Amino acid sequence: MEAATFDGGADPNHIIVGVGEIACAEDPQVLITQALGSCIGLTLWDPRLRLGGMAHVMLPASPGGDFTGCRHRFADLAVPELVEQMVDAGAGRHRLIAKIAGGASMFKGESGMDSIGGRNAAAVLEQLEKCGLLVRAADTGGSHARTIELHLDTGILLVRSYSYGMREI
Amino acid sequence: MRLDSLSEMQVDALRECGSIGAGHAATALSQLVGHPISIDVPTLEVVGIGDVPELFGGPEVLVAAVHVRLLGDLGGSMLFMAERKSALALVDLMRSRAVGSVRTYGADEEALVTHVASILMSAYLAAIGRLADVSMLPARPSSALDMAGALMEAVTSAAAMHADVALFLRTRFHDADTSVDAYMFFLPDLDSLEVLLGRLGVA
Repeated sequence: MEAATFDGGADPNHIIVGVGEIACAEDPQVLITQALGSCIGLTLWDPRLRLGGMAHVMLPASPGGDFTGCRHRFADLAVPELVEQMVDAGAGRHRLIAKIAGGASMFKGESGMDSIGGRNAAAVLEQLEKCGLLVRAADTGGSHARTIELHLDTGILLVRSYSYGMREI
Repeated sequence: MRLDSLSEMQVDALRECGSIGAGHAATALSQLVGHPISIDVPTLEVVGIGDVPELFGGPEVLVAAVHVRLLGDLGGSMLFMAERKSALALVDLMRSRAVGSVRTYGADEEALVTHVASILMSAYLAAIGRLADVSMLPARPSSALDMAGALMEAVTSAAAMHADVALFLRTRFHDADTSVDAYMFFLPDLDSLEVLLGRLGVA
């Protein structure tokens, strides 16, 4: 594991996507989101333009009504918005390759909270499908935290965790 | 109610609550490990949901954590967290061995830390319960050893449904040479916070 990526932000090409945020970038930048627990990291990549997007989704659905807070932590708002931003940036909708990671149950032996990770994953898949996208690769579930990096030159999604080290999907 | 517009009196009342809870928990911990444990003055933090993963030294810091949901009159969570090294020191003290003896945080060590944390939380909750005349009981504890950010995030995701900020009452426990340096977070639900403030006479 390179220290430069583990401390995050040391390299100017590393763009850190915070909880409930979305971001787009292009090669040679690297999109990173740290410590996904029950949250889902969604990445989109256009192989022709080497353009990518990332969302750090915290909850399946927005409460609706008079909610005026930050919108991008909810799957139903963040996913379509990320797809739109990618298309606005010039990406071809039909070329987008979607990958997801996260959706774990962080605490062993807990009911109630277990389901949030799974529901987040299901909600992101459902929203992607509504946008006409299928997931190419996924590393979800389990009970471990993940940090992900989307490398925009290759479209490789690097998944790092204390439990399993590094995985490429 | 809005978390970011608590009055000075409300903040003081909550901090006082935290001090009393933490005092009892520190006494319990000192007795358990047979070794004096002190507390720092508890802090009340109202943090943007996006900043929650930064609360414990950075999103990827490896920590041992124990989480319980609250049962009874008030809803919410309590979270116990210590860096891996500190959790191991706690295990050594519990086993009456020199700090540094145990090197692996395995299932036995995790069970022991979970047990200790759940006693601390019970002491904390009982003290606040007596003060505010509410009944708060810890549910079955659950544990993890992983990235601090992911654990904090999992605990606050319910709060994130309704608000952009989360409220934490944080207590730090440590011994003289900080071989044990652990934190406890009390996170009442928004509705329960109103009830608690009401009982404390500062609604």
